[in-house]
Parts: sequence; C-alpha cells; structure tokens
Amino acid sequence: MKYLKQVLTVTLWEYRRFFKPKNELIGIAVMIVVFFLAYLIGKYAASAEEEKTRLTISKTLDAQLTSLLSQEFELSKISENQKDNFIKQISENREGVLLWNDDAGFVLYSYKKPDALKKLNKILNKYNQTRAMEAIKLSPENLQYILKPVSITEKYFEETSGRRVLVYFFAGLMILAVVLSFAYQFTSITGEKQLKITEQIISAIKPQVWMDGKILGITLTGLSSLVTYSIISILGGLLFFQFTDVPLNYIFQILHAPSIIIFLLFALMSILMWNSLLAAIASVITDPNNSSKSSLMLLPVLFVVITLVISPQNKLAVFLSWFPLTSATAMPMRWVVGNVDLWQLAGSFILLTATFYLLRKLAAKIFRVSILMSGKEPTWSEIIKLAKEA
Amino acid sequence: MNNILSENILEINSLNKRYKNIHAVKDISFSLEQGDVFAFLGPNGAGKTTTLRMLLDIIRPDSGTIKWNLKGNVSSVPPSENIGYLPEERGLYTDVPIINSLVYMAAIRGMDQAIAKKAAMEWLEKFELANRAKEKLQALSKGNQQKIQFIASIIHKPAFAILDEPFSGLDPINQEKFIDYIRDLNLQGTTILLSSHQMPLVEKIAKKVFLINQGQKLFCGTLSELYKDFEKRQILNISFNSNVNEERLRLLPEVENINWVNPMEVKITFKVGVNLNNALSELIKMDSINNISSHNPDLHDIFLNLVKNHKL
Repeated sequence: MKYLKQVLTVTLWEYRRFFKPKNELIGIAVMIVVFFLAYLIGKYAASAEEEKTRLTISKTLDAQLTSLLSQEFELSKISENQKDNFIKQISENREGVLLWNDDAGFVLYSYKKPDALKKLNKILNKYNQTRAMEAIKLSPENLQYILKPVSITEKYFEETSGRRVLVYFFAGLMILAVVLSFAYQFTSITGEKQLKITEQIISAIKPQVWMDGKILGITLTGLSSLVTYSIISILGGLLFFQFTDVPLNYIFQILHAPSIIIFLLFALMSILMWNSLLAAIASVITDPNNSSKSSLMLLPVLFVVITLVISPQNKLAVFLSWFPLTSATAMPMRWVVGNVDLWQLAGSFILLTATFYLLRKLAAKIFRVSILMSGKEPTWSEIIKLAKEA
Repeated sequence: MNNILSENILEINSLNKRYKNIHAVKDISFSLEQGDVFAFLGPNGAGKTTTLRMLLDIIRPDSGTIKWNLKGNVSSVPPSENIGYLPEERGLYTDVPIINSLVYMAAIRGMDQAIAKKAAMEWLEKFELANRAKEKLQALSKGNQQKIQFIASIIHKPAFAILDEPFSGLDPINQEKFIDYIRDLNLQGTTILLSSHQMPLVEKIAKKVFLINQGQKLFCGTLSELYKDFEKRQILNISFNSNVNEERLRLLPEVENINWVNPMEVKITFKVGVNLNNALSELIKMDSINNISSHNPDLHDIFLNLVKNHKL
C-alpha cells in the first residue's frame, strides 16, 4: 500500500511537472500556423508551376511537335543562322533554353539543367511514340488494346487493408509517444542528477519506487500529448474528408474493434517498455550534451522503422514479432496480413510485459549505483558490475 | 520516562565499507539515544558521508550491523517517514514553485499534502520567506535556497534528522539562526545527527561527538568527556613580531602539536604531564616573541590534535 501511494505521488509529480496544458495549447496554435503557412506556400508554388517556361525552337521544327510543345511552353522561334548567336547569348546571359533537332536527334542547350526537363522529355517521348506508330501503321485504338491490363476481380473472406492502416496508425502513435517521452525522460532524470536532488529523494523512497513513478508519470505525459495530437489529427482528417471525394464512412470501415484493442495493448506496453529502457540509459548519463550514450535514446525509432519496412510474411518478421523491442509493431502486422494463432499473440504480449517488468527493475538498479558516481559517468562494464552487486 | 529517553534509537556495530583500494569506513561502532544531538566530525574524506549514506541504506556496508529503533519499529533500514536528511550535495527543483517542492518532499515521506502545505508555510514564515512561496527556487539567494533545503529535510517532523554540513554556505548571522532552528527541532523531540566542519558551531549544540579520521574512530563520547581527556594538556598561544621558523619550535621535546593561527601566531599543544619551564625558557630565547598566553583547548584544537596525532 505504501509502495502504491509513493508511486502515485511520484507519478503525479512527474506528470504535473511536465504536462503543461498551456504549453500544449501554444503547441497546437503554432502547428495550426505552420500548417496554414505550408498551405499558402504550396498554393503559391502550384500557381508558379502553372506559368509556362520559355523555350526557343527552330523555325523549321515539325508542326505536330511545335503544337505539342506550345501546350506546356512559351515558344519562340529562331532560324538556322541565328542559332550560334543564341547559344553564345545563353552562355553570356546565363538564361534561355534552346531545343534544336538534327539528323541524330534532339539537342538541348541551357546554362544549367532546366527545371522543365522532365516535362520536355515526356512531350518528346510522346511525339516519338506517335511517329513510330505512324511508321508501322498502328492505330491508337490498336495500341490501347495491346496495353489493356488483365481484369482481376478480388474476393476476400476477410478484408484487411483497413486494419493495415490501423497498424501504421498505432506504430505512428507509438513512435510519437516514445519520442515525446525521450525528451521528458532526459530532462527528468539527468536534470535531477545535475541539480543533485536524487540523494535526498532516495533517502525518502526506494530507487524502484522513484523509477516506477518516473516511468509511469512520463508515460502518462507522453500519452497526454498524444491525445492532444490525436485531436488535431482527427480535426485534420475531418477537413480532409470535407475537401476530398473519399467518403467519410471509409474511416468507420477501418475501425475494427478487436484489432484496436490488441494494437492498443501492444502499443501501451511497448511505450512502458521503451520508457523503462530510456530511463535506464538516462540514469547513466551525467551530462546529456557530452555523452556518447545519448545517441542510444534514438533506438526506439530505429526498431519501429525496421518492423515497418520488413515484409510481414518472411522469417525475419516472425523473429521480430517475438522480439520485445519490435514485437509491438511486428506482431500486429503479422496478425493482420497472415495467419497468426491467438497463442502467438498472447505469448508475444507476455514476453513484452516481462521485458518491461525486468527493464524497470534494471533501470532502478542502474540508477541506484550511478547516482553515487557524481562527477563521473560510469562505463558499461562498471554499470554491469555494480548492478549485479546492487 | 527516563527509560524511554535513554533508549538507543540507533546502534551501529563494526561497520566497514571498502571502495576498490580504499577502506573508507573501518570497524565503526556508536549509538544514539533519543534526544541526542550527535556531531559526526572528521576531515574531508574521513568517511563521514559514506557512514551517513550507509545509515540511510543509500549504499550498503560490506560488513557490520545497523539497528534502527524508531517509534517501536526495529529495522536495519530507517522508515522514511521518521527520517529527515539534508545531504551534503544538495539541490531542489529549480523550475517549480518552492511551496510545491516542499509539499512533494513531505508527501514522499508519507505526510498528508494539506498538512504538508500548512507545515511548509509555517516554516517559511519562520525563515521570513512566506511571501516567496510561489516563486521558483532559482529566484532566491544561495543562503535562502539553503533554508528551503533545510525545510525540505525536516518538514515532516522526523523522529531522527541527519544533517550533513548544515552550516555550509551560510553567513555568520544565518549560521546562528540555524543553530537556533536545530536546537528547536531537538527540543520538539527530534534526535539530531549532524556532520560539520564548523567546530565553534558544533560546540554550541552538540551533546555527543564522534571524531573520525581515515575511516577510523578517534573519539566517541560527550563533549565534557572529550574536554576532560584534553584538560591535562596545556596550550599556549604565542605571537611573534616576524615570521617564525617552524623547525625551531618542533625541536622542543615537550611540544605535541603546532597549529598556525596566522604566519606570525601559533597555538602549541604540549604533551601531557611535561614541565613547561624548559620549553618556556627556550621560547623566550627566540627574540621575536611578542606575546604568550595560556589557552583552554576548544573543539577545534582538540580536533586538529587528534587528527594530526592519529597513527594508522
């Protein structure tokens, strides 16, 4: 009872210390402004793209090609005897693009690689294709017939594409929660060490109580921030459905209750497990600005990304779905895509829970030995040796 | 009533702690009775903080026993609600209001938060800091931060308070105030174990002392016992007109110890039972002597003598 009361006290302290509703609101406001600015910039960029690029061509260029080019470029024409002078001007004035054709094909003169090269290539390829079809006397209708894709009607007993979206959604939430916790964990643990508060705290509560309170408090802080961002995402999503042709009920098709429960359980346990690992790493860091161990804090992102890029049906995915650092994303993905028995889901979850349980114990042990090594960051071998003794 | 007062609330037997090649604490034993003000004295690196940390189960001893008997609970680990600790290396949260930090410190020691808030405000009133309760710690001066740190360690009215260097960083006026606060705390029933370098301050409040050097006990007992042990020794305060050659003083066979007050003034402790006539006649031959006065040994003198004469 005393343990629970003390853990709750530390948890709420950490939560209130780091979760600031006012700061969250400021964050949302900044995000809205950034989105709005990005929208304006995107719109400006799109309108700028609509402006036609100037292109100079030969007066004798084929009329069909000239017609195609005029749809995308603002054309000007020069004669054969003006060509050399124009090329010289490109070099001197550093502007102008000239497309010239000779027997060998097309030559493009420009001071630098032009932005519209891709567009130009597309038009020239289309023109070339048309010329080739004419040469072999192939009608456009016949070409369409040759290129027509095979017709496959898809009939599945279980529709999983929506659930795949859910896996990515929960993986994204997990990364976000762990990344947010990463910052808080660093400030909280290394900050307390630098402020020399730890010795007084540890005289009052056991390192395990302190560590458990911190892990829970910071997890709660990360999850609260997550709720804030989720609300923003939902509002953004509603706007998306408002302005696109995607029907709103598509979102309800994705919401598959058993999947949500399983993914949520895996995600929550994984966040707790990662927070325990981050706490253990933070415990051995004295100065975050001068510690090579700081880079280890990026591990969660690496592990989540690994599971998302690997095909969920190969043998490595089976291993990753049991390996606690990756199981929270790999097992749900396998469950959605392939045939995974319930015992495998349960087994992987139990392993993840056991890892969390052991890591929080390890974090407390490491913390206990590292706080007394003031002014010196312990090496890994020292940590292992002292943690065994603790 | 006497039985309760004389009951040992802390007993330490044959405590040992080693760090690699350093034997930090060697076979230390002592006990405290309820109501004691026990001063734990020793030079830097003597093993004071290591011993205090072992008492609090922050580090574990290699051998020996620690027995706490606080409010009927007998254990090797002190119950946190009955212990107050002011560590030598101190700090508090700088980014939260002072009152919140104090309430949190009390709450983790099991105090109800509403009662803790009331107690915190009372202590802040006593330290004339009540109007700054909602400010952050970083806004306070170093001396005031020290006061907040002190409140954080005793706010929950512990039965036993361990104060490691409570006077460090304080000006003389605040040092005197702290003595009064510690005395008040003791009068309210808190047993005090304090470690300090400021001997004149310790002398004002300590009832018992433990002197430690290089991990070993030099003395343990009441202050009067310590003075009694030393009263047979004679101490002379000698001032000179110019800088003195220490070697000449050391050649005197009666001299046990020489402590420099300043480059032209020394305190000489003579061996027990020696006749000073010979020494005085030799001293007078040093033509630069300005003044000679007799001096009763204080805690500072005794501490220096014991440490300097300590043979491992």
